[in-house]
Amino acid sequence: MTVSAIEFSRLGPPKLHLFAMKCDSCGELSPWWERNHCYHCGGDSMQEFELKGTGELTNYTVVYYPPREFLGQEPYVVGHIQMDEGVNMPAPVMGVDPDAVEVGTRVAATLRRMKLGHEGDIYYSYKFVVDDE
Amino acid sequence: MAVLTSYGAYVPQYRAPLGEIQKFYGRPGRPRSRGLATPGLDEDTLTMAFEAARQALKGERGLGAVITATQAPPFGLRKLSQTLGRALRLDDGAVNIDLGANATGLLDAFRIAQTLDVGPTLVVATDHLVSYRDRVADVLSAGAAAAFVIDPGRKAEGIAELGPQSRESVEAYDVWMLGREQEPRFRMEVLFDAYAKATSAAAAGLETSTERPTAKYTSICPSQPHPQVLRGLAKLGAQPKQLEATQFVGDIGNVGAASVGLALCLGLDASRKGSTLLALAYGGGESVAQEITVTRKPKSIGTREMIDAGEQIAVGTYYRWTEGRQQQPH
Amino acid sequence: MKVGVLGVGKTPHKIQHDKSLKDLAVEAGRKAMNDAGVSPQDIQMLYVGNVGSVGFNYENSTGLMVAHHLGVVPAGAVRVEAACGTGAWALHLGCVAIASGLYDTVMVLGCEKMNDLATVEGTSIIAQAADSKEEYFSGLTFPSGTALTARKYMQTYGVSEEDLAHTSVKNHYYGARNPSAHLRFECTVDEVMKSAKVADPLKLYEVCPMTDAASALVLCRPEILEAQPDKPQVFVTATSMGSGTWYQASDTLDDAYNLFARPAARAYEMAGVGADDVDVAEIYNSFAIQEPLGIEGLGFAERGKGWQGAEDGSTWLDGKVAVNPSGGLLCKGHPLGATGATQAVDVVEQLRGTAPEGMLRADAEIGISACRGGPGSVGAIHIYQREG
Repeated sequence: MTVSAIEFSRLGPPKLHLFAMKCDSCGELSPWWERNHCYHCGGDSMQEFELKGTGELTNYTVVYYPPREFLGQEPYVVGHIQMDEGVNMPAPVMGVDPDAVEVGTRVAATLRRMKLGHEGDIYYSYKFVVDDE
Repeated sequence: MAVLTSYGAYVPQYRAPLGEIQKFYGRPGRPRSRGLATPGLDEDTLTMAFEAARQALKGERGLGAVITATQAPPFGLRKLSQTLGRALRLDDGAVNIDLGANATGLLDAFRIAQTLDVGPTLVVATDHLVSYRDRVADVLSAGAAAAFVIDPGRKAEGIAELGPQSRESVEAYDVWMLGREQEPRFRMEVLFDAYAKATSAAAAGLETSTERPTAKYTSICPSQPHPQVLRGLAKLGAQPKQLEATQFVGDIGNVGAASVGLALCLGLDASRKGSTLLALAYGGGESVAQEITVTRKPKSIGTREMIDAGEQIAVGTYYRWTEGRQQQPH
Repeated sequence: MKVGVLGVGKTPHKIQHDKSLKDLAVEAGRKAMNDAGVSPQDIQMLYVGNVGSVGFNYENSTGLMVAHHLGVVPAGAVRVEAACGTGAWALHLGCVAIASGLYDTVMVLGCEKMNDLATVEGTSIIAQAADSKEEYFSGLTFPSGTALTARKYMQTYGVSEEDLAHTSVKNHYYGARNPSAHLRFECTVDEVMKSAKVADPLKLYEVCPMTDAASALVLCRPEILEAQPDKPQVFVTATSMGSGTWYQASDTLDDAYNLFARPAARAYEMAGVGADDVDVAEIYNSFAIQEPLGIEGLGFAERGKGWQGAEDGSTWLDGKVAVNPSGGLLCKGHPLGATGATQAVDVVEQLRGTAPEGMLRADAEIGISACRGGPGSVGAIHIYQREG
């Protein structure tokens, strides 16, 4: 799970932008890591599609045994979030009581430190918080 | 005349028990703060700035400049303002200014924003002071962020006008850090004298340029309501009720560059059309005072609720979370 | 297709700090060769399944290492990897080698040594068998990714956590009777419900431990085994492999079902049997929810009802089909590269009648092993038959 700075620049996670991939053939959205191939139609050309950042929690788990990068943050909630634009993706949900998480909660994206890359850089990306607007 | 159009704040939800921390190090005396607002492991000055800015911006994107003021940027070589701008999806080409500031930084940023001619300017003060061992009980290390949008072109929609500033600086060896040292050094005995001298002089100077007595402000928003500061202000006629709404250091600790920002957010939340706020910041021997006039009652962002809400964490948790931070970027 | 199982062997499945990966592989390989009555020089090809030696053990090229230490050189050897389906993949390649007619006798070996590192390191390495840099950037791990599937199953079919807990009760009943299992204690539904949370809703007794082990099989052309009638006549009669999504986010319940159902359909056809003919099944269950899903995928129960057999007895030892009478991965642990091979060894021992008493299905004639891997990426079905 540690990546070099070069690899992170090349193909890493969404970093500072939250986006999905939109298929040139069928127009369906896939999560941001599906850069090469559309799982819906088999198409091979995808474009970045910016997401507003709001969505709904459709599923969740609470992690008690974290990977290295999340050590110290457990227990934390990882949810499946159906973004308003239609794509479903996993992401951590912060600031919710693990015993009180509810499917159907509206959530909004915010910026958090994700991990220290093993060349010392800090990788930021999106986690979600309850959307109280 | 610079116009304030919106503001936002972020206070981390965790509170470390200062009293227990002091006991742990055998430091005498009553803790000067009930708790220390402690950023979580996945937070830092950039993420806190993002949260405060998100609240202030509410979808607005056409910013011409981003100015950040902090003592604890995550990166050397890479600007906090630039990274924040990218995270907020601002157009490239915005002017990015990083102020490596002490607690006066926010008001320095306001001064710059007043003179920039690039359209709406986002000003964010964000800080996470981490000090250690025998220092921790003296410097009330905590983290928070406050964001303001300044737009001279939007007088009609503005909520306040930024008035004149007055500055006073004294040569004082109260708080200092050498170069990129990890921890501040300070002399408490000098600190309190310098507080009193500089803040009173700055406030007095403002009385002259604005012709408004200190006692006539609706609210005084100080970065640190130290007793010496309050004594100095009292000599100028300030009343306790002017400070009622804006006190927070006793709840969550000193948040460095964000302190005067939080005080200002508290003042704005409680204000109405016509209210006058005196922003008063002190850092490293210098004090800056600024007059702010509220032109339209702002919708409260709930700064007091953010301060009052808080999840207690144990002493051990506080150390686990902050221990590495001195070696790592904050 | 018909491939003879000439010999089987496995090490104990547990934490073994005194044994290296090398030690485990050699132990299993030798046991299998002794059982087969062959010498290392009789092995014409070696397939070694191992998933994480680079991470867990700071070593690579396991196939070449085992070939040397078992004395199989100069026969060819290769390392096989397909996430948690590795052992089954090594078995598949062994079967294909025999069925192709190019080889008479080959060895299939799976091995893994997971306990040289701390849990958090192990979890992070296991996560590399998914898109750990991208999808698991979200803080997911294998347990928490599977937990999302468990919740989806519960929501879709109206199944409760108590309902699912029966699966662990059954597995632990038999694990307690399996001398080579990692976890050997029985438990009740109440104890399962009270066990520590790992990734909500999965609890400690619903997830497998990290285990050190190796298992091996010597495979041969059917005529070779038939020419030794004193040996138990057990054959592999189907080997069917498929793949599925690499992403937890794309893994629907239909995908989970099809991951087994599609290769199983081909396997049943290959072997000329149906789901109702199966006496004993070893179904991959590193997380308890995978057993009901596997039961449904193999056609032993309707969708959404696979969990019921653990409660009503129909998947216990004397039920309609004995599912995981070894205690499953929940009790044997999941030594990643070995598991698929261990499942094969366990089914073969059931059909031979040599499985330990208390977990031995009487008169088992047809068995199936179903292995999966990745977030939903590998489906591997093997069918075995005893003749005579």
